[in-house]
Amino acid sequence: MRTAAVATLYVLALVSLDAQDRAKPQTGTKTAATQWRTPWGDPDLQGTWSNQTLTPLERPKDFADKPVLTEAEAADYEKRLVQAGNVDNRQPGTVQDVNLAYNQVWWDRGNKIVADRRTSLIVDPTDGKIPPLTPAAQKRRDEDRKASDNERSAASWLDFDVYSRCIIRSALPRLSTGYNNNYEIVQSPGYVAILQEQMHETRIIPVGNGTHLPSSVRQWLGDSRGHWEGNTLVVETTNFTDEGRGSTFQYATKNMKLVERFTRISDRTIDYQFTVSDPDTWTRPWTAKLPWNRIDGLIYEYACHEGNLGLEHMLSAARAADGKK
Amino acid sequence: MKTTHIATIAALALAFTAPAARAHHSFSAEFDVNKPIKLQGTVTKVSWINPHTWIYIDVKKPDGTTENWGVEAGTPNTLFRLGFTREALPVGAVIIVDGYESRDGSKRANGRDMTLPDGRKLFMASSVGNDTQSK
Repeated sequence: MRTAAVATLYVLALVSLDAQDRAKPQTGTKTAATQWRTPWGDPDLQGTWSNQTLTPLERPKDFADKPVLTEAEAADYEKRLVQAGNVDNRQPGTVQDVNLAYNQVWWDRGNKIVADRRTSLIVDPTDGKIPPLTPAAQKRRDEDRKASDNERSAASWLDFDVYSRCIIRSALPRLSTGYNNNYEIVQSPGYVAILQEQMHETRIIPVGNGTHLPSSVRQWLGDSRGHWEGNTLVVETTNFTDEGRGSTFQYATKNMKLVERFTRISDRTIDYQFTVSDPDTWTRPWTAKLPWNRIDGLIYEYACHEGNLGLEHMLSAARAADGKK
Repeated sequence: MKTTHIATIAALALAFTAPAARAHHSFSAEFDVNKPIKLQGTVTKVSWINPHTWIYIDVKKPDGTTENWGVEAGTPNTLFRLGFTREALPVGAVIIVDGYESRDGSKRANGRDMTLPDGRKLFMASSVGNDTQSK
């Protein structure tokens, strides 16, 4: 009798597993519940990943009514984006030309949009646009742009943004940029660590301990706390700082709240989504989604501080300009 | 129709390049847009450092003397990932640099375009823009 009951449960379990397998595109015969597990039973996100994509954060005006492209449209769009992004095609004698710096071989933007062919990384609001900035945020944006224009007469290293100063690449969350869009995830019981190739910072995220640091403690990458919701790692980050130009995300305040969701959906893909909210910056929260795709290479060191001659040279240039006044 | 198409491409180009078209720091704060320069010289040293590689070349002046110039380029990580090694640009190689001089008058330039004397681009990489990502 007992043997029959166990056998029945076993068969039911197999049926259930089969249904889940067919519902999700996965490799192998195991389900998401058992695939990609660490030895201690957590979902396994470990490995080296890239969030490189050509898909813009916001939907371009030309695709206002086109949230998703056909395969042919996507191929055409990719071709045009690659061509437009090729820095070898540039107008000499312009400030933009100087700022593009060096030729195409040094850039690594990739040549694909996201696999589901969306025209924006933003999925909420559905128009694919960042919600309107509050008047205070517009002021912060304008001030930052002015400060950026004034770098040529900088008086101090403090006049440069945190990227130029080799402190952080940018505030969280990270979007795809011109190069070094690579990450390595390592897990241990109770922790997930994410090494960001540029600029070499490692986020160490306690998992299962939801108590944030006191609000008086502010950090360049904020204070991240994670927990598992099924197979998804949910990470909430607060306690950002605004000590330094460019230290907050998209003109937000240091009180921005970030929620990230990491879900392993295949052997080579993590579905990554983030939601940011800050009533002092945007009129509503917004969400973007971009894949982290497995890379087969190594993460390389990016010891930015060690060779940051640029900062010294820019200040030297500003002092030389002072002398000519 | 053609104009519209070009305008669309320009708009798309702008939409794509505007946020990403910046090196680690502002090159226009370091180099002078009004001082374009072309240098031909022999490589004396390559510093494969982050955030920017520096290539040093000896440039012969018309009076027969030699000046050593530093040329700023991108992160070595990208080249390593493409399969280049430190042997890709040996000391003694002759290269031509088109760029802009530094604003403080030092013997430095940005490597807007770097070529070999026969016209081939330096670090020509057929695998640039590999398609292993995102799709």
